[in-house]
Amino acid sequence: MNPPEPLSVAVADFEALRRDSIRKHRLQSIVGVAIVSIIVFASMSYSDVFSPALGGDPMQRIATFLDRLAPDIDPDAAFAGRATRGSIAAWYYDFPNWLAAAWQTIQMAVVGTMLGGLLAVGAAFFAAQNVMRIGLVRFLVRRVMDALRTIPDLILAIIFSAAFGLGAVAGVVTIIVVTLGSLAKLFSEAIESVDMRPAEALKASGAGWIAQMRYGVVPQVLPNFASYLLLRLEINISVAAALGIVGAGGIGVELQRAITYTEFDTYLALLLMIVAMITLIDMASEELRHRLIGKESMA
Amino acid sequence: MNATVASARLIAPEALEPPVGRKVRPYAVAIALIVVLVWFCIDLEMTPAVFGKGLASLRRFIGAMIPPHDGGQPWRIVLALVETFAMAVSGTAIAAVFAAPLGVLAAKAVVRNAVIHFAVRRVMDLFRGIPALVWALILVSAVGLGPFAGVLALAFADIPRLAKLHAEAIENLDQRPLEALRAAGAGRLAAIRFAAVPQLAPIWSSQILYYLEQNFRNAAILGIVGAGGIGFALEERIRIFAFDQVAYIVLLYCVCVGILDWISSRIRARLT
Repeated sequence: MNPPEPLSVAVADFEALRRDSIRKHRLQSIVGVAIVSIIVFASMSYSDVFSPALGGDPMQRIATFLDRLAPDIDPDAAFAGRATRGSIAAWYYDFPNWLAAAWQTIQMAVVGTMLGGLLAVGAAFFAAQNVMRIGLVRFLVRRVMDALRTIPDLILAIIFSAAFGLGAVAGVVTIIVVTLGSLAKLFSEAIESVDMRPAEALKASGAGWIAQMRYGVVPQVLPNFASYLLLRLEINISVAAALGIVGAGGIGVELQRAITYTEFDTYLALLLMIVAMITLIDMASEELRHRLIGKESMA
Repeated sequence: MNATVASARLIAPEALEPPVGRKVRPYAVAIALIVVLVWFCIDLEMTPAVFGKGLASLRRFIGAMIPPHDGGQPWRIVLALVETFAMAVSGTAIAAVFAAPLGVLAAKAVVRNAVIHFAVRRVMDLFRGIPALVWALILVSAVGLGPFAGVLALAFADIPRLAKLHAEAIENLDQRPLEALRAAGAGRLAAIRFAAVPQLAPIWSSQILYYLEQNFRNAAILGIVGAGGIGFALEERIRIFAFDQVAYIVLLYCVCVGILDWISSRIRARLT
């Protein structure tokens, strides 16, 4: 019996095991990094990132582009009238019209969010496991909502502007459909997480299905629904801003027009307006959401 | 009125007879919302007539979608889908490269200087709302038609969003491993390498993968303005009312989205 020997054997075993595991780990990392690099490199060359046809140096082109984007503001004449070259007023030469287009974008987003949200509430009750007992209905409603979520919003917008004609209506319909798809899922998840005991109590005291939903389920989910709806409104504002590019109304129409006439500085002016609009709506919506949550936690 | 109700009224008078304000408020909110809705609908010329006509042609379109048809060139569609995927990967990769330093700068835990991280945050918040298509529209005229404009558009749109997520991940790091290493005498770099990086790598990778999924969806629309990918093929076929081919492309695309989402969610599940 020689105690040190088994110990050293054990240590050696352990060391060998550790070396093996480190080697395996390293190999895995190297293979992983190599695969990712190959995919990224192949993708980049396939999508012309290194293509010499683009003037070779993409950074140079981006610099030129940024230069063309910047407006010619003359510091001396910055606050002069619209007729003066180099003034801010000349840069925003069609401001009232752009403001009207921005307002239309907001209207489209609001109407689309409200109507889409209304439809989503209906769909959610048919998709939630705890209130819709018929599995087939649930399955069908869910699959349709999944499909609506997968089709890109602007593809829908093109189809709808072919059907409803160019203009704001096509944009609103697009937002309704997109909102329906995304909110129905969130709403049905909210319904599935409610406490069913109030509804059961109502049922036990003889209430019908609609009364059970109205007094047992709706009060529990209403604050959630409202805050999801406001979050969706924020997203819909930026969706609506892009819709005009395919002719579906709002400020995007002006963006498209600026590009058609190669007015790059106008494009930047509109971009800044979009940013301001989105920021304002975000702030208002955040304020409202905090109030809703505050009320909920107080109750 | 029996004794139970009377005693209930004593305990909680508001439960039986809510004050007028609380009774009226839900109706007031509902009426205000309906007024806004009707007003906006009138402004946008959303009349039942326009709606009815649109729905009728929509029904025709959907009727024309069945059965889907490949238009005789299925390989061109597959190639366009591959290009869409390549754009999504490239855009995500470029966004990831630029979002990492920005994310570090925007993290409160790293940059003690409040002015810097506040400024970085605000600028990113401002740009977060701009959709990729809005970038694509102008980049096409700046760098030319083709997928490269789309790649840049995706990257531009993602950098602020990804950087914000990265910064939040840094702020949510478990500080104890870092403290333990510092206490054991490790330098700042060593502490970051052995305590912060192992925590961050899976989270950041999973955020990047999530954006890859999103970008595959976003990349599909950029072709509308000539920035490469499947969007161009789709738009062209919608414009000539070839809805059977539209349905074919959309179905194929949905299958690809499903596969990519599945692979990505498998990888993300392994990461975290």
